[in-house]
Amino acid sequence: MESLLKVHNLSIKAGSFSLNKICFSLKANDYIMILGPTGSGKTILLESIAGLRPLHSGEIFFNGRRITDLPPEQRHVGFAYQDSLLYPFLTVKENILFGARARGIAVEAKVLRRMSQLVEIMGISQLLERYPKFLSGGERQRVSLARAILTKPPLLLLDEPLSALDPGTRQSMQNLLRQIHTTESISIIHVTHDFSEAIQLGTEMIVLSNGSIEQSGAPLEVFFRPVSLSVAKFLQGENLIKGTLSTLNSLLWFKPEHSELLIGPLSEELTPPLVAGSNVMLMIRSSNLSLHQSWESPSGCISWPAEIEYLSFNRTHVDVHCKGYGCWETSISLAQWQNLRLFQGDTVLLAVRPENCHLIVC
Amino acid sequence: MKFSKKPGDYIFQGVFWLVFISTAIFMLMLIAGLFLFGEWATFFEVLKNPEFHFAITFTLWTTLLATVFSALVAIPCGYILSRYKFPGRIIIDTILDVPIVLPPLVSGVALLIFFGPLFGETLAKWGLDVVFSSRGVVIAQCFVAAPFAIKTFKHAFDSIDTRLEKVARTLGYTPYKVFLKVTIPLTKNGLLGGLTMTWARALGEFGATAMLAGVTRLKTETLSVAIFLNMSVGDTQFALVTAIIMLMISLTLLVTFKIFTGVEVRL
Repeated sequence: MESLLKVHNLSIKAGSFSLNKICFSLKANDYIMILGPTGSGKTILLESIAGLRPLHSGEIFFNGRRITDLPPEQRHVGFAYQDSLLYPFLTVKENILFGARARGIAVEAKVLRRMSQLVEIMGISQLLERYPKFLSGGERQRVSLARAILTKPPLLLLDEPLSALDPGTRQSMQNLLRQIHTTESISIIHVTHDFSEAIQLGTEMIVLSNGSIEQSGAPLEVFFRPVSLSVAKFLQGENLIKGTLSTLNSLLWFKPEHSELLIGPLSEELTPPLVAGSNVMLMIRSSNLSLHQSWESPSGCISWPAEIEYLSFNRTHVDVHCKGYGCWETSISLAQWQNLRLFQGDTVLLAVRPENCHLIVC
Repeated sequence: MKFSKKPGDYIFQGVFWLVFISTAIFMLMLIAGLFLFGEWATFFEVLKNPEFHFAITFTLWTTLLATVFSALVAIPCGYILSRYKFPGRIIIDTILDVPIVLPPLVSGVALLIFFGPLFGETLAKWGLDVVFSSRGVVIAQCFVAAPFAIKTFKHAFDSIDTRLEKVARTLGYTPYKVFLKVTIPLTKNGLLGGLTMTWARALGEFGATAMLAGVTRLKTETLSVAIFLNMSVGDTQFALVTAIIMLMISLTLLVTFKIFTGVEVRL
């Protein structure tokens, strides 16, 4: 399928910050999540796609047409910022119709019909005559979305649209965005720093760091297999254990730092092409770990004994923090913990399937 | 207004109230003095005086003209200074500050040299006499008031979130239409505040006007000039009544603006 949007070698300078050679493409109906820490260049990238920032170099293609030098008003791309940015001197209705007015179609029956449909979907039909200052954060964001998609742009750019909302409103807005994406057939590029939001909504994920793409791919792939330590830390990778690679009986094993023990054998298919002696980080997502109170290792799993250091109780689960072989720390979340009768100081067996051991080159 | 009860704040609070009360008493004494020394009977006579009529009409149209010209200059200048960063921006900003800090008499001398010995003859050939003419009054008022307008307009443009303009671009508006449909409505109060301050500045202008346009009765006689002329010939009644009228106009202007817009004008 041909790309709807293609960003090729895009570089931008903004003061001392720069975006460097960004390349990615988006197909129709894709929902790309751009993740990155504050100051990684997410908003600048989004604004450059919308034509709001001049490029230093690179090209942007939209539906196969080069739009690098096209002004924003001719790109027909929807845009919504984090804090909704409604025009305070216009009512909700006037705000939604603002884009249609620019195109001289605000009074056309089909546009008014479209607006009525949108406000019904968004649940803001009762707010049309109100001014923005009388709306809640969630309502403002809904109006902002309705304004951005009223004229059916093929691409919607969202700059952290949910980050200023409370958890309940955020959840309903996520559902709304999913609905808009499917029913309106709009491709979306959504900037966020919340990876759980990215996993829930995105079909693709791009991780930006210091103005460059660190990793891109399917959200779960990026989540479970970060390519660098910075991505792993940003995605709150649990159980990061520093060590080196060793070979034993022609198989790859992981040797934790300050320990003579070997963990493995590691799955050869999934480890990056590394040689023995390489410094690596082993990352095991806590959801991939299993805890056993018997000493029998589950079949096909790598296992090791670990002492429970402490338990932290949460509403829906318990985090069990263990120390394996007295040297590396791991934590595992257990939802069904009531019957296990775990106590601080107990020794348990932790197990993981080899393919769930992810190595990151240091 | 709520003040913190921290002991360290007492000095600041003390100075604040001292300055506020002293200024208020000073203003009241000024107004009371004007009313006490002026005679009520002559107040209405002065109001009917043709010279007063001339001065107030002349002041009104010259200051309005100066305000309009200043605003026309200040909108693009304030916008450029607010939105763009370019080399020499600080120098330009400082140069624009000069007429604000310069004594009006010095500005007047500079203007007199510019429109007199330097370009006076050329301008006269085109029928544009400036020195000792009403045109000179408007130019002097513009020279002094325009920097106020530029400064206040710049602050008004600074005060809005530029992303509101960016959103409008993505919604299909050209930069020109964004300015008219988004920037101007968003900065309306700030711009009105700037206009008010500009007009107030032009209204009170005397030094530069006197140097460039002279103080000629019934020719270049603004209200300020009328006060000066009548005080210098001993007609204190006329001068005092004019001063009261000017004070009332300024106060009404500022109070009305602040009540209706709730905006604090920044220079």
